[in-house]
Amino acid sequence: MIDVRDLVYEYPSVRALKGISLHVASQTITALVGPNGAGKTTLLRCLAALEPPYSGNVKIAGLDTREAPRDIHARLGYLPDFYGLYDALSVRRVLIYAARSHGIAPALAGAAVEKAAERVGLLNRMEAKAGELSRGLRQRLAIAQTIVHEPRVLLLDEPAAGLDPQARRDLSVLLLALKEGGMTLVVSSHILAELEDYCSEMIIIEDGLIVGGKAVKVRDVERPRYILEIATARSDLREFLAGRAGLDVIEADAHHALITHTRNAAARAKLIRDLLAAGFEVSSFGESTKALEDVYFKQVGHGR
Amino acid sequence: MNAEFQRNLWLELTPRRMFVMAVVLALIFFAAALTEGTVSGPGEAARWLYYVIVVIWGTRNAASGVVGEIRDRTWDGQRLSSLGADTMALGKLFGSTIYNWFGGAICLVVMLADLLSSRGPFVALIDLVYYLAIGVIAQAAALLASLIAARRRQVHSRFDIFVYQAVGIFAAIAVYLVWAVADPASSIFAHKAPTNFIAWWGLGLAARGFLLLSLAVFTAWMLTGCYRQMRLELMMRNGPFVWLGFLLFIGIYVAGFDAWLSGNPALIHLDAVARRLLLAGTAFATLAYLMAFLEPKDRVQYRWLGGALAKFRVGSAFMRLQGWMTAYLATLGIGIVLLLWLGQTSTPPDQAMVGAMLGFFTRDMAVIVLASLMSRQHGSDFAAAAILFVLYVLLPAIVKGLNFEAGMVFFFPRAGDPLWLSPVLAWSEAVLAAAIAVGRIVLPEAQPDGQTADA
Repeated sequence: MIDVRDLVYEYPSVRALKGISLHVASQTITALVGPNGAGKTTLLRCLAALEPPYSGNVKIAGLDTREAPRDIHARLGYLPDFYGLYDALSVRRVLIYAARSHGIAPALAGAAVEKAAERVGLLNRMEAKAGELSRGLRQRLAIAQTIVHEPRVLLLDEPAAGLDPQARRDLSVLLLALKEGGMTLVVSSHILAELEDYCSEMIIIEDGLIVGGKAVKVRDVERPRYILEIATARSDLREFLAGRAGLDVIEADAHHALITHTRNAAARAKLIRDLLAAGFEVSSFGESTKALEDVYFKQVGHGR
Repeated sequence: MNAEFQRNLWLELTPRRMFVMAVVLALIFFAAALTEGTVSGPGEAARWLYYVIVVIWGTRNAASGVVGEIRDRTWDGQRLSSLGADTMALGKLFGSTIYNWFGGAICLVVMLADLLSSRGPFVALIDLVYYLAIGVIAQAAALLASLIAARRRQVHSRFDIFVYQAVGIFAAIAVYLVWAVADPASSIFAHKAPTNFIAWWGLGLAARGFLLLSLAVFTAWMLTGCYRQMRLELMMRNGPFVWLGFLLFIGIYVAGFDAWLSGNPALIHLDAVARRLLLAGTAFATLAYLMAFLEPKDRVQYRWLGGALAKFRVGSAFMRLQGWMTAYLATLGIGIVLLLWLGQTSTPPDQAMVGAMLGFFTRDMAVIVLASLMSRQHGSDFAAAAILFVLYVLLPAIVKGLNFEAGMVFFFPRAGDPLWLSPVLAWSEAVLAAAIAVGRIVLPEAQPDGQTADA
């Protein structure tokens, strides 16, 4: 869905992107992470066809950002890091304008607005002025604006900044629902734990380049990572696990093991039963929630 | 309805605001009616209120149309919309000023009622066209200036908005003064009889008809300019052909007024062709200066352009020429034609003067570009203006103060002895300034500490 080849972008006094190539598959959620000033926002703006590349090319849904920027804009939703809303307008009018300005016919705009508002949980606030909404609700409205026209690609720059824990959870649920609905999402964020909830791949940018040269798979929905702990040390833990079908050992010692395993509940139950039957005193078995953070710190500055 | 226009209607034309405008204007007209004969009547009050509401206040709102969106961080969202450049430009131009047009319409009704009773329907109709045109031209000029500036900076202060508004007001003043030439009721040229005929390309044309047509054409060009700048904001490409068409139009239009120069003692010896070439060249040069100041001077784009030329991708480079570059080339082209013409019809001093003028003009273009490359964003225009002030005012004043009259040849075109001195010095300065500018473009700049790419 997104193809970038040798993308170079220059500000007058600095080369922000230094030859980035990447591919984002359709109907995925990809995290875009990296230190401040790495080039994340610039990359998102290039993907959104808001900035022309100095060299290289960016294709969204097969369309080149240089050749067909307006066609790309029609297929895309972009929520910038710092966004504005028309504070004097009601939520309904903000969304009607967004729908109409994205080419939705007047007769269909009402339905599109209702659907977007329902998705972000703003249906009961349609007549409230945008300027009167809390920060979390403003964020929801901003997201509703970007999805009202059902874009194929959604680019979000720090979408969870300033949200409370409940709003972040709601956001995760929404993004997963949008992905299931067919959208391809790229999400830039500093909060790795939050990205963990919904991203399957991660692109790490540092100093205008992709660390490792490609996206890193951090979470396989079908085969998540699990952490196993045993109460009494056993040096044959790795050997036992490695011999089982459908299981991959990422790392293991006498007390712990980090594995990938099918999400199927019955298969997991069987694994635990087999471990207990083999005399392993299983004290903990659960899905790893630090996969993304682990990968990030391994890649960027080697655990800096 | 145009979605952008509708959004502006929601924001600007609320029932309460409309009520306030109508009541305030009604009270003013009532007061004017009571004082008629001692101060001025409702018609005269409506005329001045129209200028205040539509021209002065309207240009402010037009200038804020895009800049306000940038300031409020809603502009990227609009750029990503599916609205066409024409829809967006017209929606912004007439939407952001709709409240002003509401007040202006009330003033126009009062004005027309006054004109119909005092000067008849023909004059009323002509004046209606004039007032509508001056409003649209002023507001479009302010929007155009803000759009051009929007492409080179993301931060806009209140002063910046005032500058864009001033561009609109200057456009309105120009229209007002030109119109006053043919207006018998004008108080500006009350000491002179109004001009009934205008000499243009040797023809005697009815002044009012000619000016009305001119207003219509310039309004169309102004709207075209807004549309094309909006295309750039929406990431669409503009070829140079429309701008070239405008240059051609303005060259032909301005050259037609050669009769106005026939009484100038300094130019009286030139024939009509030379005068026309001089007028067209002056118009091109003025546009080149204007665009050089207004357009973004992006080192990256210049590098890209230089790379395309180095690879002989002339077509691609031609399509990416900026407005000031095309106007510069047009000035240079017409200057060379003028030189050749003067070679056959005039004296060597005239040729030397034209050669020197072209040299200083080239130097100035290089200085403006160089200043923008050496300064950080906001200060570049002031830096360029300051350098030109030093070159054209300060240093000549010092040289004159030192009684070194011959030294003026470094700063102004002068036909002295030897004749070649002025053009040679002018072109030497031009080559030097251009070489430094090209050097600044080609050489990589040291990256300042703390520069971030995310910003």
